[in-house]
Amino acid sequence: MATTFNDIQMTEFKRLVARYPEGKQKSALLPALHLAQDSFGGWLSTETMDYVASLLTIEPIEVYEVATFYSMYNLKPVGKFVFEVCQTGPCMVSGSDNIIDYIKKTLDIKLGETTKDGMFTLKLVECLGACGYAPMMQVGKIYKEHLTKEKVDGIIAEYKAQAANN
Amino acid sequence: MGVKLLLDKANVPGIRTYEVYRREGGYRSVEKALKEMTTDAIVEEVKKSGLRGRGGAGFPTGMKWSFIAKPEGVPRHLVCNADESEPGTFKDRYLMEFLPHLLIEGLIVSSFALGSNDTYIYIRGEYAWITDILEQAIDEAKANGWLGKNILGTGFDCNIHVQRGAGAYICGEETALIESLEGNRGNPRIKPPFPAIQGVWMRPTVVNNVETLAAVVPIINMGGEEYAKIGVGKSTGTKLISACGNINKPGVYEIDMTITVEEFIYSDEYCGGIKDGKKLKACIPGGSSVPILPANLLLTTAKGEPRYMNNESLSDGGFATGSMLGSGGFIVLDEDQCIVKNTYTLARFYRHESCGQCSPCREGTGWMEKILQKIETGKGEMSDIDLLWDIQRKIEGNTICPLGDAAAWPVAAAIRHFRDEFEWHVNNPELSQTSNFGLQHYADPIHVPA
Repeated sequence: MATTFNDIQMTEFKRLVARYPEGKQKSALLPALHLAQDSFGGWLSTETMDYVASLLTIEPIEVYEVATFYSMYNLKPVGKFVFEVCQTGPCMVSGSDNIIDYIKKTLDIKLGETTKDGMFTLKLVECLGACGYAPMMQVGKIYKEHLTKEKVDGIIAEYKAQAANN
Repeated sequence: MGVKLLLDKANVPGIRTYEVYRREGGYRSVEKALKEMTTDAIVEEVKKSGLRGRGGAGFPTGMKWSFIAKPEGVPRHLVCNADESEPGTFKDRYLMEFLPHLLIEGLIVSSFALGSNDTYIYIRGEYAWITDILEQAIDEAKANGWLGKNILGTGFDCNIHVQRGAGAYICGEETALIESLEGNRGNPRIKPPFPAIQGVWMRPTVVNNVETLAAVVPIINMGGEEYAKIGVGKSTGTKLISACGNINKPGVYEIDMTITVEEFIYSDEYCGGIKDGKKLKACIPGGSSVPILPANLLLTTAKGEPRYMNNESLSDGGFATGSMLGSGGFIVLDEDQCIVKNTYTLARFYRHESCGQCSPCREGTGWMEKILQKIETGKGEMSDIDLLWDIQRKIEGNTICPLGDAAAWPVAAAIRHFRDEFEWHVNNPELSQTSNFGLQHYADPIHVPA
């Protein structure tokens, strides 16, 4: 995959940088990494990080240290859809353990793994601020809340259909 | 039905759009503040209101504003802390998702008062769809002349920018947030210098929570003195509480801080009682870092007086028998919940979120997680409980930022109030894997729901 923003992505990148004072373009690093991750296959390769560094005229190490600090950046390839299931206290008391076990069994993968067809990755995450709607998981930009086994079945079917249509 | 100042219009259809929000009286506080008030007068109203920071620390907002340095020729910035990450807390999300213009309105007035021409909302990265909602609200406000250059012909310029974080609890700490806003790892800074003197890009900066900034709107509209009449003592105005756990009606509630904890849990207007007719065992009343309380100490203080939903009452008795209002993340645990397991998940959370700068926090949170996991899985020894106590004491107060304290307090309170449940786990390594310690003596027998 080419590591260069297309015109639309570059316009967005410039909009992000323009929000900060002149000479403070490094401030756009977090949003720029989100943009890069969304643009280049859902994860940040070294090549991608170096590209972002060159765009912001900062050292590559400045990008690596940020990319490794924040949990939302994937540093290795992930499936087309990443299930990030919350396991913190409020979700735990609402039954997140059962949901995690059910997803593992249904997708036949362990934590951190991706299904053989490259469709789904299962990750555990810490509190996502949906405690009143627990148990929950995040899939891309979307929160899936009040999870039950039936609901998980529906979500898997939904994404499989979405992938088939694309 | 208590008074509502923030969520009173939350159920109006279409309130998320500019047209409906404006028709319902939105942006009046901007007109009043920018046209009729001086910046000092606005700060004075906020001081009079008694408003205290709604993020968890409860620092008086007006006082925080009055600290901002004003060196000649150096831009100042207001930063809205929307990094809501404290387990149990989801009130800011609700406010931004359903009433985005209320936050934008509060931000314009506050930016004017502080002299911030470029104001930033730092929102947690996972709230990606709310970022879109906020950016749309900002565009609408700008199109209608509330943002941009020369607002209302007053000569005041203001733009609001939204920056997404990328998954780090620590960035809710204001100096870590500033580091992150600058494109760095979220390592908290040593204070002083305080952000009011040297904040983002070393410029004077005020960082306030979402709910705090939204509360500026009713304060300007009704006046600080009127606002201060609501509530009790130093707990003025209203507070958003996000209730979750084993209750019938989880959700976000606006309360006026004069109701009792008992009413909040059992009244149908709020939590609607414990789910499935079970009994209340314990509660973490102000976000995961505040001390957990067993039911008897939650509903009444050690002196036997009813406990109220405000700062003073919840902290009555100190950490020995009380807790804190904190962020308003109200986590309820029923009789089936295991305190050891709950504490373990929270310890794991803090280990995951420690930035790693200070050894007591970086090493201590890892140790606490491992020991709690050991006890939880039936491999614990009696000496582990004392070791846990020892470790949390060595973290508390020994770190640059409050994350160390936040990690220590839940462990300390769990051992303080539920030591026998920890001992039961150690003494019953097999039984504890298949059954629960249960309620034992923790529920107040008087407060069994009918």
